[in-house]
Amino acid sequence: MGIFDRFKAKESQQRAVLIGLDGTPCTLVQQFTKDGTMPNMAKLCAEGALLQMDTSIPDISSVAWTSFMTGANPGRHGIYGFLDVQPNSYKIYFPNSRHIKSETLWAVANRAGKRTIVINVPSTYPAQPLDGMLVAGFVAVDINKATYPASLVPRLQAMDYRIDVDARKVQQSHDALMDDVLVTLDRRVKLLLELYDKEPWDLFVGVVTETDRLQHFFMDAAPDAAHKYHSAFRDFYRRVDAFIGQVAERLKDETLLIMSDHGFTPIKQQVYLNRWLVEHGYLKLKENARSIEEIADGSRAFAMDPGRVYINVKGKYPQGTVAPGDAASLVAEIKQGLAEISDNGAPIVKRVYERDELFSGPVVHLAPDLCVQSHYGYDLKGAVNKTQLMDREVFTGMHTQDDSTLFINSQAAALRSDKPHITDVAPTLLAALGLEVPATMDGRSMFR
Amino acid sequence: MEGKGVTLWFTGLSGAGKTTLARLVETELRRRGHKVEVLDGDVVRTNLSKGLGFSKEDRDTNIRRIGFVCNLLTRNEVIAIAAAISPYREVRDEVRRDIGAFVEVYVRCPIDVLAERDVKGLYKKALAGEIKHFTGIDDPYEAPLAPEVIVETDRETPDESAARIIAKLEELQYIAATSAVDAYSDEDDAEVRRRLEALGYV
Repeated sequence: MGIFDRFKAKESQQRAVLIGLDGTPCTLVQQFTKDGTMPNMAKLCAEGALLQMDTSIPDISSVAWTSFMTGANPGRHGIYGFLDVQPNSYKIYFPNSRHIKSETLWAVANRAGKRTIVINVPSTYPAQPLDGMLVAGFVAVDINKATYPASLVPRLQAMDYRIDVDARKVQQSHDALMDDVLVTLDRRVKLLLELYDKEPWDLFVGVVTETDRLQHFFMDAAPDAAHKYHSAFRDFYRRVDAFIGQVAERLKDETLLIMSDHGFTPIKQQVYLNRWLVEHGYLKLKENARSIEEIADGSRAFAMDPGRVYINVKGKYPQGTVAPGDAASLVAEIKQGLAEISDNGAPIVKRVYERDELFSGPVVHLAPDLCVQSHYGYDLKGAVNKTQLMDREVFTGMHTQDDSTLFINSQAAALRSDKPHITDVAPTLLAALGLEVPATMDGRSMFR
Repeated sequence: MEGKGVTLWFTGLSGAGKTTLARLVETELRRRGHKVEVLDGDVVRTNLSKGLGFSKEDRDTNIRRIGFVCNLLTRNEVIAIAAAISPYREVRDEVRRDIGAFVEVYVRCPIDVLAERDVKGLYKKALAGEIKHFTGIDDPYEAPLAPEVIVETDRETPDESAARIIAKLEELQYIAATSAVDAYSDEDDAEVRRRLEALGYV
């Protein structure tokens, strides 16, 4: 950024707000704004643009939110999943904020003197210093390491702030989980509004995660009026809508974006790619293996959640068996095989992407060789302890890639007409703040 | 803890917060086990640079002396922290060239805020003409052109500024990043795993 841009940025008093609703499908918002469940959202949509958005592949929160916050593809930012294998090993690690290789939206905003508040964005743990405040979201463990500056921690504690819903409550009962979802949402909204009102900021980023948690366990209740939790599901969204109304009534001339990091749809089957690899002779596991760490000799490929497939290349992995020169033909063979998986005749795999179709940048070498995208209803999993290709567990909802939500409080005519991608959100916010979009971002502003 | 030596050089107007930040950063670095020495301009003028005045020549001599000591400390794997107005760019850059491992922190605060704050009562005296050669009033201050860190003490709390300085030292790999990955314990990992399992990701 040139020196004159800096002056320009300092002069501008434009502010922007981003509200994230983790996992809220655009089609659900469309339905709920029509049927009266979300009147505040409907009011906003009457004057702004509600757009269906594509998210990252893989379409899980750690990848999607990192793509949001960096405006970049995983080949640049380096986050390909909730778990990954360490280089030259099969040892699993859980990527955190320190593994993100590209600059964040707020680092760019800070450089131009824009103070930023970032609350509950997944994959920001541990909290990194910034000009502003940050409370990390999923998978934050320790509130002290999740919060910057440290002086904010006592305030969070005084408000009984909760980092996350305890999804393990479902083992007690669905009622217990639903209660936890509602209480956590309530505490989250309190904190978001408190900081919105009392702290100085130029950019405010606040995410609600409870939407995602609800949908993992209650997605089947959404379309089914006879479902025990159908009205509870709607009531939950009424509360989310009330929060949106509280934000809307505070707006002066701020740009407001509301987004989700992926959509959701009911699960028909969970599908275990490692089981398919075993059944087809590509993967060998030690007896009673519970993790890919227990891979056995003679394996040619393995999979990680959700649909990532890695070729076990010699020199790249300790027990690699595939000569680098043979990797391309194995990729083609597995790709062909995966495309043929079916559930009683119904195809499961929508598309299999090769690495270079999806990823580019300095850390593309860490990317999976293949990314499998499934049809709605077939939730791809990385578990290795399964003895059948498909089954069902407690989960009733799965993520979707092509049905994320993006609302902008701007006339549709002022926006690009092509379908937005999650990497476009950060550039759009920077544009709203009057700032240049750095070349390290892949996305483009939605403003014409 | 064995570490690399580096000179952390705070420059800025009187009262901007150089000493406060130097002490905060010193405390955090000691907590992490580093060897640290602070050369505070106000203190140095009572011993190392006793007798020097505030002419450009004397100011430059003062900075060269502080720089000389910082250089000795830095090459012995100490983190040397200098907190001095050091108003002249040329001599700061000379010290930077001599030491090499040099991180300049520009402690920025608008002069009207400083005159208003006036913790040492010096601005009042300088504005009344009772003190001559006062930087920012009747003596120049040449801001750094490319400091490693700029902190804005009228807009950030001292803790926030100190955290940004520590983060820069981590980023430049003069010190290990302990606040995050390394502090991410096995227990954290186990809890992360349980939480991911609860949502079906593991």
